Amino acid sequence: MLPTGIYFETYAAEARLLKTVRARVAVALLVIGLLAVPLVSGAYVLGVAAQGFITLIAVLGLHVTVGMAGQINIAQSAFVGVGAFATAKLSGYGLPFWLVIPLAAVITGMVSVLFALPAARVKGFYLALTTLAAQVLFPIVILGLPTEWLGGIIGMAVEPLVIGGVTISSPKAFYYFTLVFVLLATCAAFNLHRSGFGRMLKAVRDNDVAAQVMGIDVLRAKISAFFVGSLFAGVAGACTAWFLQFVTIESFTLFASIWYLGMLIVGGAQSPIGAILGVLFITVFQEGLHEVGTEILRNSHEAGGAIFAATNVALGASILLVLIFEPRGLAHRWSVLTNTFRLWPFPHR
Amino acid sequence: MIKFLQVIIDGGLVGLVYGLVAVSFVVIYRASKIVNLAQGEVLVIGALLLWTFTLGAAKFGLQIPLVAGIALTLLGCVAFGLILERLVFRPLIGQSPFAIFMASIALLVMLRGFAQLIWTAETRPFPQILPSGAITIGPFLLSTRLLIGGLFTLVLATALHLFFTRSRRGLRLAAVAEDHNTALSLGVSVRAAIAIAWILGTVVATCGAVVLLSGRVVSLDVASIGLKALPVALLGGLESVRGAPLAGLLVGIGEALAMAYLDPFTNGVASNVLPFAVMIGVLLIRPQGLFGWKKIERL
Repeated sequence: MLPTGIYFETYAAEARLLKTVRARVAVALLVIGLLAVPLVSGAYVLGVAAQGFITLIAVLGLHVTVGMAGQINIAQSAFVGVGAFATAKLSGYGLPFWLVIPLAAVITGMVSVLFALPAARVKGFYLALTTLAAQVLFPIVILGLPTEWLGGIIGMAVEPLVIGGVTISSPKAFYYFTLVFVLLATCAAFNLHRSGFGRMLKAVRDNDVAAQVMGIDVLRAKISAFFVGSLFAGVAGACTAWFLQFVTIESFTLFASIWYLGMLIVGGAQSPIGAILGVLFITVFQEGLHEVGTEILRNSHEAGGAIFAATNVALGASILLVLIFEPRGLAHRWSVLTNTFRLWPFPHR
Repeated sequence: MIKFLQVIIDGGLVGLVYGLVAVSFVVIYRASKIVNLAQGEVLVIGALLLWTFTLGAAKFGLQIPLVAGIALTLLGCVAFGLILERLVFRPLIGQSPFAIFMASIALLVMLRGFAQLIWTAETRPFPQILPSGAITIGPFLLSTRLLIGGLFTLVLATALHLFFTRSRRGLRLAAVAEDHNTALSLGVSVRAAIAIAWILGTVVATCGAVVLLSGRVVSLDVASIGLKALPVALLGGLESVRGAPLAGLLVGIGEALAMAYLDPFTNGVASNVLPFAVMIGVLLIRPQGLFGWKKIERL
């Protein structure tokens, strides 16, 4: 919704992501602000932020598969895990990071295609069940492979990340490293919406029979939705591997997948803004709950378990509340809010 | 040869337990068109309720006779089903399948969290309800607990099948499983259907917990049986109560054979992968399962 007086003379201007000068200034300020965060904050905040950025990359990928193409994916965490293990293995061979990241992403994409193949026969939640199989099989397969290959139950140490001869290990350096990728991923996600590919996915989401009638190869669309979503997961996995410096199957559970999905649903699955708001909201909420929980249960020996349980209850409750009361998620509230300000003081369009 | 047959018998008996848990999936789907991924958690909550009313109460000096404890557990299951219907699924009637599926995923984390908050993650003994030990028939050894459980599964599945296909109430539930909005327009109460579905599903899952855990230990990790029973339910057909025990037999025997003959060569992977390989195979070859309803779609 644009206020009166803003018009475009070319289609290119209308199709732009940032249509007005004010929007461009706002985004530029946001990026400058993000770049300036390390000047004022400590290592803890930077660590949480880097973790949040990595999560956001994965959730943006999920947004492509679930939000744009309408295919439920309960294995995003396993796909992030595939990316992480691929990164650990490839960087162990001494490959440079600019080669490792695309390779990890493509390997993850290939694995996801394997589990998207049943799309040829089934749809809806049946397809979701094959991704569930992917999530359950991931640890079984890693544990079953010889220990020398992927570390089995112990896990694998990851070679430190070296860029141009400099080793990236401080929280500040990691913050900037992940920031670059999160900006790229966000840019990609926003642009997908105005590409032919994105419109194809959305047509399949809205009605796949109708999409087929209009000449869209539905099977190809669904499989490529999984592939593209998993490219994001692969990048997130690469960042995770370097961030944690050690990969084990413990980090990539069904519960993590549900957290990713939960963030997307709470934020609103249909737009990248939803992914951003969802990750922001859940991360802040989780950190807050963690702080409060540690404060209350300082003297209890079961504090860790109880806090974990409480965060799970809170996440489940917020997904249910959003599904029941605002299925379009926080993104819709956000657009209502911004429109109110944009149209003020004349609220009628 | 005797080892081979013993493996098949053991696998079949374990498979019938999977079948029982799969019946609890199918009952919920057959009556309300909800695939409940959280069924493993529901089973754990049923098991923990039973623990609370038997050993848990005894721990606090409250001696409840076993029969009364079981009756209280059943009441607890009914209350649980009604609460879920009222708070979670009633507001979602007529929403997209996507939303309902997501709600079941949200329930998974939420129930797990609640179970851990209320009962903590500790491992505790489960009351002995079915006799332990084994009986010998010829050269073969049959676990009494699993044998009784298996017979119970067959009887229950037949009874539920008759309920769903012969009784008026059961046929109404079938209408709900077909389509919420159509059922509503024909005067079938979807609310009642969902409530019945969840009460039945919780009770059957608790029965599964009894067969699975009697005389053993219960912890939150037991919930993983839910993920094992899901392929079974799919193989039998999500709409077919009778298909679930048969599919359970097949998966159980397959798993036992893989465990006995393939696992030594595959580092223990084969038997774990098998149920999910079956699941993907079913989805690729015959998506409606052995006895499910074939769906035909029109624009």
